[in-house]
Amino acid sequence: MNARTLTHAAAYAGGLALIGYGLSGIVADVPVGRWAAWFAGAAVLHDGVLVPAVLVAGAVTGWIPVAYRRVLRGALLVAACVTAVAIPLVLGYGRRPDVPSQLPLPYGRNLAIVVGVIGAVAVAVLAAQMITRRRRRDAAGGGAHRAVPPPKRERGK
Amino acid sequence: MVRRPALLTRPLRGRLPEPPAALTTLPERFTSRLHDERVAAWLGIALGACFLVAFCTGLVSHLMQNPPNWMTWPSRPVNLYRVTQGLHVMTGLAAVPLLLAKLWTVYPRLLQWPPARSAGHAVERLLVFVLVGGSLFQLVTGVMNIDYWYAFRFFFTTAHYWTAYIIIGALLIHVANEWAKTRRTVMTRPADGLRRRTFLLTVFGASGVVVATTVGETVSPLARLAVLAPRRPGIGPQGLPVNKSAAGSGVTALARDPGWRLTVTGRVRRELTLSLAQLQAMPMRTARLPIACVEGWSAEATWQGVRLRDVLRMAGVDDDADVRVESLERYGLYRTSEVRPPHWHDPLTLLALRVNGEPLDLDHGYPCRLIAPNRPGVMQTKWVERLVVR
Repeated sequence: MNARTLTHAAAYAGGLALIGYGLSGIVADVPVGRWAAWFAGAAVLHDGVLVPAVLVAGAVTGWIPVAYRRVLRGALLVAACVTAVAIPLVLGYGRRPDVPSQLPLPYGRNLAIVVGVIGAVAVAVLAAQMITRRRRRDAAGGGAHRAVPPPKRERGK
Repeated sequence: MVRRPALLTRPLRGRLPEPPAALTTLPERFTSRLHDERVAAWLGIALGACFLVAFCTGLVSHLMQNPPNWMTWPSRPVNLYRVTQGLHVMTGLAAVPLLLAKLWTVYPRLLQWPPARSAGHAVERLLVFVLVGGSLFQLVTGVMNIDYWYAFRFFFTTAHYWTAYIIIGALLIHVANEWAKTRRTVMTRPADGLRRRTFLLTVFGASGVVVATTVGETVSPLARLAVLAPRRPGIGPQGLPVNKSAAGSGVTALARDPGWRLTVTGRVRRELTLSLAQLQAMPMRTARLPIACVEGWSAEATWQGVRLRDVLRMAGVDDDADVRVESLERYGLYRTSEVRPPHWHDPLTLLALRVNGEPLDLDHGYPCRLIAPNRPGVMQTKWVERLVVR
């Protein structure tokens, strides 16, 4: 047995012991069926619904011109993550009439503002990219009709 | 090369009928080059760090609320619990984009064919399912819990606590399995021109936005930025959020009763029965202390009241006594709390009668509540009726 096999065996032993300890607690203290439904359900919904939806979004955005695609996908990624975390707030099922300090804000509006800011940042990044691209093209000394800049200038840079 | 028993490495192939090529070649049909080992490695490292922080800080909360007999928590630093629970919830929230990105990155491997090459490989994949299912479970129910959405029909705290051990165990095995690969891919500079950094920074940016729009619920200078937090310091009766109202706990009439008395009983030399007026006549102390909730929010307030130790000394108690603080509540998991010597000896631990310059609001525990440094919010017992010395 070499050192790596030993570490491996130790990790499996420790890991399985921790899993066993956790499971014993679940069996003792938690309704196992309901717990298992959420445990497996989360994985199944994620793999079967959420990721395919993301893949579809990826395919759809694949039609967008390369120049905009990367920024747009980035903005979608950030906005989708923020929305996913904020959904329970927006739905507001946790509101209680006797505890007004619980979920006290207008979350639908706030989420719209945050997503709007993400969109604005994306537009700003795109604009900045476009300007630098145009400048670079202008600095290279030509429009569409002079695609290849003269070699002299290239050396001068 | 790791040598494994033949039983675990014997190929499973051949026992299954050969499926159509459309099924066996699924992983090759993913066109994004970001489904990549190096991306998965970096996301995995970030995620592992978040989970480790969340596990340790969660354990702190569990042990503060359920200390074994040999364990005594200090009452200082005042903000220890506040910081650990803020960290717990913020690392959990930051982990959401990281986990989603990581699972997207490795998604083609879910569809690999054959599903298992050997019995050992099947065990490895089963343990990955445990890790994935557990991670999603913790984050989904955790986010729902801080937003008070109890759609799951089990007690969150125990399920969250026990599931944590399951994922930490599965994570330990996963780390052992992936260690060599991760080390190699992280240590070598890739020369393929793939823009991994842009993708990773976008994912970290998503975590950043999630945290930035929430963290003000515990870091009060950033409160106005916390537009997507379930709490905001400053909002609530007397500028302080509430978790449990008097009406919801069914104590309104009892708490308002002018016949209310605080009794001190148990292992004391003199039993005490104090009216509100008698308490108010005792030396008043002021303490600036936070209410820090296990759900990650916290808010500081200026409390005024009687030192717990002054009341206990008046009754005559031993220095090593434990004290059980009992509420007017008749039911509920948190109707009593234990105060051990380091906490009741602390001069900042008060039986508070006033907050932010006014008599306590009914929802903050009128007529009298416990407030102590470095202590979970659920153990800052409200509507105190009895101190039982043991």
